[in-house]
Amino acid sequence: MQNTKIDPFTLEIVKDSLTAVGEEMFYTLGRTSMSPIIYEVLDYATGLTDAKGDLLTQGNGVAGFIGMLSFMVKETVKKFQDDLKPGDIIIINDSYNGGGSHLSDVGLVMPIFYEEELVAFSANKAHWTEVGGKDPGSFTNDATEIYQEGLQFPCVKLFEEGKLNQALVDIIQANVRLPELSLSDMWAQIASLRIGERRFLELCRKYGKETVLQTTKHLLDQGEIISRSIIQSLPNGDYYAEDYIDTDGLGNGPFQVQVKVTITDDNFVCDFRGSHPQVPGPINCSYTTLVSDVRTVFLAITNDDQHINDGVFRPLEIITDPGSIFSAERPAPMSVYWESGSMGGDLVWKALAPVIPSKLPAGHFLSVCAVTLSGNHPDTKNPFLIVEPSLGGWGAGNDQDGARGQFCIGDGETYNVPVEIAEARYGVMVDEYSLNADGEGAGEFIGGAGVIRSYQALTDGQFATVTFGRHKYVPWGFNEGKDGSPNQFYVMKKNGVVDGPYGVYARYPLNKGDVLKLVTGSGGGYGHPFARPITKVVEDVKNEYITVHQAKEVYGVVLDEGTYDLMGLSSARKEWEENIEKRI
Amino acid sequence: MRVATDVGGTFTDLVYVKENGEVGFAKSSTTPPRFEEGVLNVLKESQISLEEIETFIHGTTVIINALTERKGVKTGLITTKGFRDVLEIARGNRPDLFNVRYQKPVPIVPRYLRKEVEERLNYKGEIVTQLDKEQLKEIITEFKNEELEAVAIAFLHSYRNPVHEKEAVEMVKELWPEVSITASYEMTKEWREYERTNTVVMNSYVKPIASSYINRLEEKLADKDVTAKKYIMQSNGGTTTFSLAKEAPINMVESGPVAGVFGSAILGEIIGEKNLIAFDVGGTTAKCSLIENGQVKITTDYHIERTEKWAGYPLKVPVVDIVEIGNGGGSIAWLDPAGSLRVGPHSAGAVPGPVAYGQGGEEPTITDANLITGRLSPKNFTYPVDLQKVKEVMEGKIANHFDLKVEEAALGIIRLANSNMLNALKLISVRKGYDPRDFTMVAFGGGGPLHATFLAKELGIRRVVIPVASAVFSAWGMLMTDLRQDFIKTYVKLLDGTNLDEMNIEWSHLEEQAIKQYVQEGMEETNIIFSKYADMRYVGQEHTVKVPIPNENWSPEMIQQIIASFHTLHEKTYTFQLPETQVEVVNLHLTAFGRVNKPEIKKIKETTEKHAPLKEIRNVFYEETGWVKTNVYSRNELAPGMKISGPSVIEDLMSSILLYPTQELEIDSYGNLLIYNRGMENAKYEN
Repeated sequence: MQNTKIDPFTLEIVKDSLTAVGEEMFYTLGRTSMSPIIYEVLDYATGLTDAKGDLLTQGNGVAGFIGMLSFMVKETVKKFQDDLKPGDIIIINDSYNGGGSHLSDVGLVMPIFYEEELVAFSANKAHWTEVGGKDPGSFTNDATEIYQEGLQFPCVKLFEEGKLNQALVDIIQANVRLPELSLSDMWAQIASLRIGERRFLELCRKYGKETVLQTTKHLLDQGEIISRSIIQSLPNGDYYAEDYIDTDGLGNGPFQVQVKVTITDDNFVCDFRGSHPQVPGPINCSYTTLVSDVRTVFLAITNDDQHINDGVFRPLEIITDPGSIFSAERPAPMSVYWESGSMGGDLVWKALAPVIPSKLPAGHFLSVCAVTLSGNHPDTKNPFLIVEPSLGGWGAGNDQDGARGQFCIGDGETYNVPVEIAEARYGVMVDEYSLNADGEGAGEFIGGAGVIRSYQALTDGQFATVTFGRHKYVPWGFNEGKDGSPNQFYVMKKNGVVDGPYGVYARYPLNKGDVLKLVTGSGGGYGHPFARPITKVVEDVKNEYITVHQAKEVYGVVLDEGTYDLMGLSSARKEWEENIEKRI
Repeated sequence: MRVATDVGGTFTDLVYVKENGEVGFAKSSTTPPRFEEGVLNVLKESQISLEEIETFIHGTTVIINALTERKGVKTGLITTKGFRDVLEIARGNRPDLFNVRYQKPVPIVPRYLRKEVEERLNYKGEIVTQLDKEQLKEIITEFKNEELEAVAIAFLHSYRNPVHEKEAVEMVKELWPEVSITASYEMTKEWREYERTNTVVMNSYVKPIASSYINRLEEKLADKDVTAKKYIMQSNGGTTTFSLAKEAPINMVESGPVAGVFGSAILGEIIGEKNLIAFDVGGTTAKCSLIENGQVKITTDYHIERTEKWAGYPLKVPVVDIVEIGNGGGSIAWLDPAGSLRVGPHSAGAVPGPVAYGQGGEEPTITDANLITGRLSPKNFTYPVDLQKVKEVMEGKIANHFDLKVEEAALGIIRLANSNMLNALKLISVRKGYDPRDFTMVAFGGGGPLHATFLAKELGIRRVVIPVASAVFSAWGMLMTDLRQDFIKTYVKLLDGTNLDEMNIEWSHLEEQAIKQYVQEGMEETNIIFSKYADMRYVGQEHTVKVPIPNENWSPEMIQQIIASFHTLHEKTYTFQLPETQVEVVNLHLTAFGRVNKPEIKKIKETTEKHAPLKEIRNVFYEETGWVKTNVYSRNELAPGMKISGPSVIEDLMSSILLYPTQELEIDSYGNLLIYNRGMENAKYEN
């Protein structure tokens, strides 16, 4: 590239314009989709990369997709090289090569040509409600090989020079359960790609190709500068964490996983070697997923308010054994890949929280806590399918209580489905939507409560597939803060029998009047519970976030059962306070 | 005489129009917390005779201030059993994706004041469980002990059937007549329980405050023998009576900003232009809104305090659709850790303000940049300006870093601010399928006129109008409004094969409700005018498109016509249509205007003098050409018939206009300034 001097403000203006393009692509896809998983959960990402596949700008709904677009584009470049033409669109969901997550996330990639030169790529990735496979909704928690999980698109051309590959569309049509939904999402993705192309070309025309390309280089370099400057401010050293993934969905487990994070003046290295090999059930993830999840935590540490692009990640290095649970190989099933992926990010988080407590709070409920519920609507008699993540409790920080009822780190700008809409659309009644104020995650700052959401089946023959991780190994507290509580579900049968608790379960049958009670856990606490000010404890009791009993036993604050008037402090708390004073 | 007063953060503005069409303005300081004092001051300032006022229209920030400062009253909430935490759980989203310390909006009502009562409807509005009145009694007793001032009620599916909410309200009124009570169905009839609950809670939270403010204002006006009909400006671009405003004060949250947008539509009517972009630049933000075919766009997807990184609080009330960004005159320019220049959203505000104010400001702002580049004159500031100091700050904080001259750095700030504003303007136009070249820009607020000329040039906008009252334009807009109420009801129905009688009955219910309300307020039925819209979508989609509906009974032919216009609008907004897919209605939206008589604005006599008197020649720093010796004119000296060519500056104490070499300016017969780009087709219009 010719290195003409472009004034710094033009660079900034083009940079802002690129960000605006990323947002417009994102907006277009969300607004035109027909799938709740896209327009409510925002389980998709859109963006632009440079001609090599380095991410320039990304519109995000969920954090877990950060970085996945580049891998798709790089796979496209590797496979087609000079065989890309204007008007081509490539489709890819191959979990092991470039696709990166599970088969449900279908990626589209479009090369952008300016005056016959390849200048950039427009790309997106969206969760299709259906890609075929053994179960409705495609992803499931008891698949044993990838062939059960749906159609595989191994980086092939959907459009060639503007012409649609109808044969491919016919194959999709024949192999998925809800072809209208899947294909309409495909068209929404195409609309978004075209917006990206149109806007990028407008920028080239307005500012000149050289200026735009130089801006993209500048953008990546700036990202790197910011990351490195923050890494330099972190204490150098090796930091370790280990944890367990409950189960693979087939009854195997728990699986030990670990990380060593090495921070030097220039680099941030996460070494996951020694973690468990890939497992028979579908909780494996690809190396790409691991990278995405570690990047999310990396951004939480380094990126306060910055433009996100591949330059930001240049100092980040991620190492894992081939064929591990974090880097699975064909034909390992990958349906609920986020369970291991999020754990990878959480390990880095856990290793560094004591080092950077101002940025990283205690552990949260972590799991996407995915729920799939299928059956027939009582009035329309039509089949319905709920596919949704759950809210849960977040960990406390060194100066704040944890958030109550919020989606996990892998989600993000994700919205729960309003009860009134759920009841109109699906064959259920919601008996309860409330905070799971169990008082766990105690500390000077307390972990946030999870939620309880209860679905009462209104028809016979419904099936629930629930994938709740952190059912056995709960969210961690630190610096003397207590651990949080597990994610779990129960089935309260119409005849009064209560079955559960369970964490991961495939196709639990429900009949009319049965209630599926979904309960997510509290986040971990921070600091010793005795350090929590009395006034706050009284308020917690008054608001029923904790009980009078917990106030006394855990916080050492004794209150009157009826009036919540302060009666005094427990001897344990008094002793603890005296010891603190002595130490000072 | 009609008089409008607009209480803003710093100033209270007044605009009046006399029976003969003569228009006048006044400005006075805002006087918190006794805002009504400022209103009386500005009335005095204007020297109008108070007994001549026939209509008094008022806009105020009292409500939004009480909300954002959390200075509402102690409020309790009663919900359906199992759902008291809906207000706290909210939607669970985390817009700041990579912030693992994200803090959700804190609910306005704490958990111990949120009570549950046994009752339940299903999604069809049928009663599943009766309202437990004994439980309700107990809750009322508890609330009395807590000494609450307001109570909100929000039950599931009340948008479909408010029966239980009505029963509960009656019971509260009977047992506790002193407390202020609101039910969610009175605020909105749209689905989504969290949004509806938050709306009713926030309304309850500020209702006693609104009442006491309006009562005080009423008393003060009565003391001064003002016998005028009194109205309050609402966020939907129309007015309402004082008594209705006290019931639903939440409808006033954006009364100031929307009045400017509405004023633009009215101005467009006067000058014969139906497609407009309203553009308002104040001290901390720039706002814009698109008006198509004379219609101001209304949305109920409104949140207070929402930013790109924070969820904010939803209010399901009709608000003019405005895009706002954190770039105004006081916005601070700064360098991020990578050394990139950024402008806003932090603002130096009124105190200390830009460096130029000499009140202790030490950070370079957009105003300072405009001063250094000669676009603003140091003579037009309230206090003497230390230009040397302004340049030193610019040099030290910005120019040295880039190794640039001080004026180049200043221009960089302006270019970046313009780029941010341009993106906001594109958001409401190009990205919604509108071609800016089909629009006229109305620019107002302190900084609107200064930035508008560049932005119009960039967007290819044909004309810019700087209204005669550009610095007090919100008050001018209020002056011109009619009464307005929006009635929106969620009514989900497939359009093909819909039962026409049922549909027409739903509409007539809405109409009856509107007529009843207006007649109660003393409006003649013949002055009530309806506009109808339906929020529609393809089956399976979530987001809707607002489709204008003919004002007559629905017939099979009309349905086909409505479906056709939906397809067209969908394509315009989202680039494609799905002709094979079924279309459904989600919300019915009835707008009821109560027309009032307004005097016609008087024209100003044309001058025979074609040339405006030159004030001075000053060096101005332009993007393309650098320093140019530029003619400067005083805005007060301009009269209809005069023309000015760019490059030049037109200024007064309140604002400044920058004409580029390709631009020309005319003064129309109302005193509005019209700017158009030379060489653009159809650039002139007859007046």
